[in-house]
Amino acid sequence: MSELRIGVVSGETTTDAVALDARDRLLAAARVATTGAVGDDIATAIRAIVADGAVAPETVRWVMLGTSYVLEDVAAVGGVRKVAVVRIGGPLTTSVPPLATWPPALRTAVSAGEIVVAGGSEYDGRAPVALDADAIARFLSGIGDRAQAVAISGVFAPVSPAHELMAADIARRELGALIPVSLSHETGSIGLLERENTTVLNATLGEAATQLGATARSALLASGIDAELLFAQNDGTLMCVDHARRFPALMIASGPGTTIGGAAHLSSVGDAVVMAVGARTTYIGGLVNGIPRNHIGATDIAGVRTSLRLPDARGIAVGTSSITNNSEAGTPIEPDKATPSQRRAFVRALTSADTTLADALEEARATRPVLPLVVVGPGQRLVPDQLEGINEVIRPQDGEFAHAIGAAVASVSGQFARICLDRPKTRRSALEDIRAAALARAIDAGAHRDRVAVVEVEEVPLTHLVHPALLIRVRAAGPYC
Amino acid sequence: MLHLDASNLRAFGRGCAVLGSGGGGDTGLGVVMAVQAVRRHGTLRVVALDDLDDDVWIMPCGMVGAPVVATERIWSGGEGEVLRGMFEALRGAPVAALMCVQIGGANGLLPLTWAARCGLPLLDADGMGRVFSELHQQAMHVAGVSVSPVVLTDGRDNTLVLRAADDVWAGRLAREAAMSLGGVCAAAICAMRAGPARRAVVPGTVSLALRLGAAMHGKGIGGVLDALRDELAATLLIEGRVVDLERRSGGATLTGSATVRGAGASAGMRQLRLEMQNEYLLALEDGTLRAAVPDLICVLATESGAAIPTEELRHGQSVAVVAAPAAAVWHRADGLALVGPRAFGYDIDYGAISDRDGAHV
Repeated sequence: MSELRIGVVSGETTTDAVALDARDRLLAAARVATTGAVGDDIATAIRAIVADGAVAPETVRWVMLGTSYVLEDVAAVGGVRKVAVVRIGGPLTTSVPPLATWPPALRTAVSAGEIVVAGGSEYDGRAPVALDADAIARFLSGIGDRAQAVAISGVFAPVSPAHELMAADIARRELGALIPVSLSHETGSIGLLERENTTVLNATLGEAATQLGATARSALLASGIDAELLFAQNDGTLMCVDHARRFPALMIASGPGTTIGGAAHLSSVGDAVVMAVGARTTYIGGLVNGIPRNHIGATDIAGVRTSLRLPDARGIAVGTSSITNNSEAGTPIEPDKATPSQRRAFVRALTSADTTLADALEEARATRPVLPLVVVGPGQRLVPDQLEGINEVIRPQDGEFAHAIGAAVASVSGQFARICLDRPKTRRSALEDIRAAALARAIDAGAHRDRVAVVEVEEVPLTHLVHPALLIRVRAAGPYC
Repeated sequence: MLHLDASNLRAFGRGCAVLGSGGGGDTGLGVVMAVQAVRRHGTLRVVALDDLDDDVWIMPCGMVGAPVVATERIWSGGEGEVLRGMFEALRGAPVAALMCVQIGGANGLLPLTWAARCGLPLLDADGMGRVFSELHQQAMHVAGVSVSPVVLTDGRDNTLVLRAADDVWAGRLAREAAMSLGGVCAAAICAMRAGPARRAVVPGTVSLALRLGAAMHGKGIGGVLDALRDELAATLLIEGRVVDLERRSGGATLTGSATVRGAGASAGMRQLRLEMQNEYLLALEDGTLRAAVPDLICVLATESGAAIPTEELRHGQSVAVVAAPAAAVWHRADGLALVGPRAFGYDIDYGAISDRDGAHV
C-alpha cells in the first residue's frame, strides 16, 4: 500500500493536486490558487491533499509535475543560460544568421555569441565539406566563461550527426567537460532554422529545469514526501528531471497534452474530441488512439519558430468566469449549478469567440465523422448534453481534475527521428536504428527498461526529390521504474 | 518606382503564396532571407520592362529541386552573384535586371535576395504568373526563347552550364543535376534581352503579388476574398470543409485528391473535388469542371485567410476555394498544349472557370 502517486499541475489560475493509488483510484484532490511562486504553489496544493487525511506523505512514491514555469522564464527573459550558438553549414546558410529571427530582447538575453562554420551534410548523407574544427575552437575559447551552455546545429544533422558530435567534443575540450551541450539532431526534424531555435531553447532552459526540479523537490520534502519526481512533457507523457535538463523545451507547454491524456484515461475512450473548460480558457483538442493529435508545422514559442511538436489544441478565451450570474451582476456562476440558459450562454460565448466552436470541433475531429466529445475541467458541467455535430457528450467522473490525473497516470516516453533515403534496404536498417534510439531515449527519460515499447512510428516523405527521402520518427513509451 | 523593403516584404510573400496555387514551397524562409538582404544591402528596386532599353540582358532565375531541402540547406544568398558572373561570362555583356522564373511560392522570393546582393533591380514580371513544376513550362518557352543555356550552382562553388537538345531535356537534366548538387540548387534560365522579353514574359506580376498581399493584410476571410476578386478577378468556387483527403506520394510529385463539402454561404449538399499534383490542378463539382489548370486554383484557410499549400491541406479544415484566370499566354492553343489538363495526364479538355450554373464568368 506504499505505491501512491501524486499529480500536481500548475495552471494559469489554479494549481491542482491529486493522489492516486496503485490501481489508479482517486484518493484525494485539491485545488488552490496559483500565485506564480511555483514552489509555494506545489507545497500549498500538497498540504491540501495531505490535510485530507487520506494520504500519508511517506506512502507517496512518485510525484508528477506539470507546469509552464519554464516557458514563463523565456517569455519574461529571465532565468536563462547564456548560450554559445554554433551552426555547422558553411559556406551555405549564411543568408539567415543564427537567431536572426528571434525577438531582439530575447536574443540579447540568450546569446553569448553566434557563429556559422564550414561543415554539415547533404540530404543523402554525403559530407562535401570538412568540419572547420579550428573555427569552433577559436570561437568558443574567445567566448570562454560568458557561455553557460552550447547549442550546435548542423545542416542535415538528422541524416548524419557526425559533425555535431565532433563539435560537441570540441566544446567540452574548450569549455570544460561539464558544459551543457545541446545538439540539433537530438530534436530530429527537417527545417534548419526551426531545429536550431529548438536546440538553443533546450540549451538556454536547462538551468531553469534544474532549478524547477530542486524547488519542487524541497517543496515536497517540506511536506514530508521523499518521492521520484517526473515532469509532464508537451505530448502528455512524462520524463525524469535529468532528461528534462537535457530537453527542457519538451515541457514548455504540457497543459493541453496532459489534460487530453487525463480525459482519455477517465473516459476509457480512444478516439474523441476533448474539451477542457477552465476558468478563463477552453481548450479543444483531438484524441487519436489514446494519444493527443499533434499540430502540423512549426510552432511559435515566445515569438520563436520552433520544431517542437505540440498537441493541436485550440484555446478559446472563454471559461467558467465568462458566464456570470444575472441576479448578482458580475459574480461568476458555479458550473455545477449552471442552469440550462447559462449553459446555452456558455456555448454562445464559445461560438461567438474569434475561433468558432464548430471549426475547433471539426478540426479536432479530423479523420472520423462521428466521435464522442469528452468534456473535462472545472467547467465540465457548463457544456450541454446536445451539441451540433456531436453524437455523445461524455463527462467522466473526476473529470474536473483531468489535468492533474493525466499527469499522474501518464507513461514515460522518448522519441527519436532521422532522415534517410527511401530505398528498401536503407529504410529498413534506418528504422531499426531509430527504434533502438527511441527505446534508449525512453529509458533515459525514466521508463522501465524491461517494459518499454515502441508506440508510434511516423514516416513523412520529403517531397519533390527525384530520389525520395523520408523523415522517420519513432516514439517509445513505458511505465516508470 | 516600386520598391521592396522590410516594410512590404511580408505582404509580397503573402501574395506569392496565393499565386503558388498550392505549390512552389513555403514562402516564409524567402521572406526572412529577403528581409535580411534588404537590411544589409538596401531597398530593392523593381523595374518595369518599359524602363529598360531593348538590348539589355535579363536573367530569369530561381531554384530547381526540392523546396523542402532548401529549408535545411539554407541558401548562402550569394548564389545570385555566381549565376550572374557565369551569365555575363557566357554573354559577354552585363545583366541589367533579375527576374523570377515563377512568382508563386518560394521562387517568388528567392531572386529578391539575389538581386539585392547583386545591386541589381528586379523586373516586374515572371515566366508563369503562377507555379508549374517543369522548367520548360514557361511563357518564354512558348515565345521561342530557349531555356538553355541553363546555369546551375549549389552554393559550394560547383557551377554547371547546361546546353540541352531542347527545353524538355533542359528541365530533365537540370533536375537530375540538382539531385547531385544536394537536392536543390540555384538556376538561371531563358536568358533574353529586354526587347524580345516584351512579348515573352508575364508582365506586372511582382507588383500584382505586392498589391494582392497588401490588400489581404489584416483581413478576415471575407476581406481576403474581396482582395482576390479585385486583384485576380477570382471566382469563389465553394466555402466549406475538407471532408476527404487522399495523398499519393511517388518520387518528385505529390499527387492527391481532396473533397470540400459546402458550408455557410455554400450550404447544402454541394461537394467540390480537387485534384492535385504539387499544385491544385482541377476543381470538379458533380462531374462538371469548374476550374482547370492553367487557371489558378487557391485554397484559403477560413480562419486566417492564408493560402494553404497542397502538402499542408488537412482533413476537417475550414476553407474557401477560389479560381482565377491564368495569364493570357496560357489560354492560347500552344499555351494549353503545354500546361492544360492533358499535359498533367488528365483525360479532360481545359474549360474556363464557371460559376455554379455552368455559365462562364
